[in-house]
Amino acid sequence: MEVISYPYFPAHLSRAYIALYTSVTDAGSLRSRIINAATLASPEGDQERELLNFAFVDPRLITSALHVETAVYQAILAAAQGSLRTKTVHSEVLWALNPGNNISEAIRRYGVSDGCTSLLVIRIDSSELQDVEAKMGSVVSGQLVPLTQLGTLTDWAAVKKYHKLNQEAAIKAASGDIQKEHDVVDNIVVSSVAIKSVMG
Amino acid sequence: MTTAGSSPAILTDATHISQGAEAASLKVYKALLHQSSNSESTPVFLKYRFNKQYRHPTLDTSLTRSRIAGEARTVLKCLRSGVHVPGLRLVDASEGILGFEWIEGKSVRMLLGGGAEGEEEIEYSENLPEDEISDETPESELESAYRITPDALMSMIGSEIGKMHLADVIHGDLTTSNMMLHWTSSANSSPSVELVLVDFGLAYTSSLVEDKAVDLYVLERAFNSTHPDSEPLFAIVLEVYGKRVGKEWTSIKRRLDDVRLRGRKRSMVG
Repeated sequence: MEVISYPYFPAHLSRAYIALYTSVTDAGSLRSRIINAATLASPEGDQERELLNFAFVDPRLITSALHVETAVYQAILAAAQGSLRTKTVHSEVLWALNPGNNISEAIRRYGVSDGCTSLLVIRIDSSELQDVEAKMGSVVSGQLVPLTQLGTLTDWAAVKKYHKLNQEAAIKAASGDIQKEHDVVDNIVVSSVAIKSVMG
Repeated sequence: MTTAGSSPAILTDATHISQGAEAASLKVYKALLHQSSNSESTPVFLKYRFNKQYRHPTLDTSLTRSRIAGEARTVLKCLRSGVHVPGLRLVDASEGILGFEWIEGKSVRMLLGGGAEGEEEIEYSENLPEDEISDETPESELESAYRITPDALMSMIGSEIGKMHLADVIHGDLTTSNMMLHWTSSANSSPSVELVLVDFGLAYTSSLVEDKAVDLYVLERAFNSTHPDSEPLFAIVLEVYGKRVGKEWTSIKRRLDDVRLRGRKRSMVG
């Protein structure tokens, strides 16, 4: 798990805990658990929601660690400035990742889906939060791997399709050189996430 | 929101780099967005359009917001069109901050021996260890550090501007100070030298031949004033540019000749 600190933001937004799991077996049940938790009544509902208080991201649409870090930064920024477009800072991460403005589309594409075999789990909270890795491990059953593995899990065709990159001059110029094409796509995708708040 | 006069928190530990010609409207910094537990944090380049006390706050906020948004969108358009520009890392329209990928390199102006621009001189020497370059001839720095000839550099410039104009982006402030050379560091492939266009603060979108011709004319003037005897060099820029833009080149070239006779501004008489 990687811990990123943001010293310039309020305490409750000053840490991002990011972990990548592969060989995930319970994506389907996790998804229905999240949907269920939203409608549960208090106090059981609050308890269940706290247990699931993470952003679950499908790493197949993530091109690099920088990609997800940029989305986390923009989500924290929106939360700190009171300009969240979604209900929580965690859903804001998913919204920031999706090129469009539709929240349910963002969650459907970038969130956990039944077929996920790997998962990126993110928690934005204060530095006082304890045992984050254990809390993540209790809801996701999979193997914890370093974030540097992100590039190997990417579905580049899907990334290019969602960001409408197939007809772009930058991609055509880099065709034939896979590594270069991936670098170009990564740079465009990261920039698109950063610019999200002023697009449209 | 910050109150009038105080800076956003992210700038507290940032290194102030320089204030160029636009010193009255923005400041630039080198800063870290976050600290990571596992990996080395990479710096970002921050462009901060600070509050203007002389403007009404509402107007100031909306002007800053639209300028930030405009610059960010233009940069993204360039990226998608394959123009080498620094990638975006952070956009904070309400504070007026843009964060770019940090480009470790040198401006073409320095490499061609044009010296630093005004007050940048002092700031540059603090940040760059190689500040004794003025003793060497400019060609040798270009060739020793980047292993390319001035002619090759000119064709890179022509090619980048050609790609940019093909995407209908007009830079608005093309000078050799707004172009940087740097070594690309890709994971698997061998490093290569790349020319990067920077500072899209005055950029806009236009498909008019007039705007493209004026953009080229501004660069030509910048070349002539900062780099003496650069006429044969600039000819290479135009030649490669012409090949890049293709069939539109004939009309841009004709218009460039007109602009040379009358200057950047169109006559307002008649």
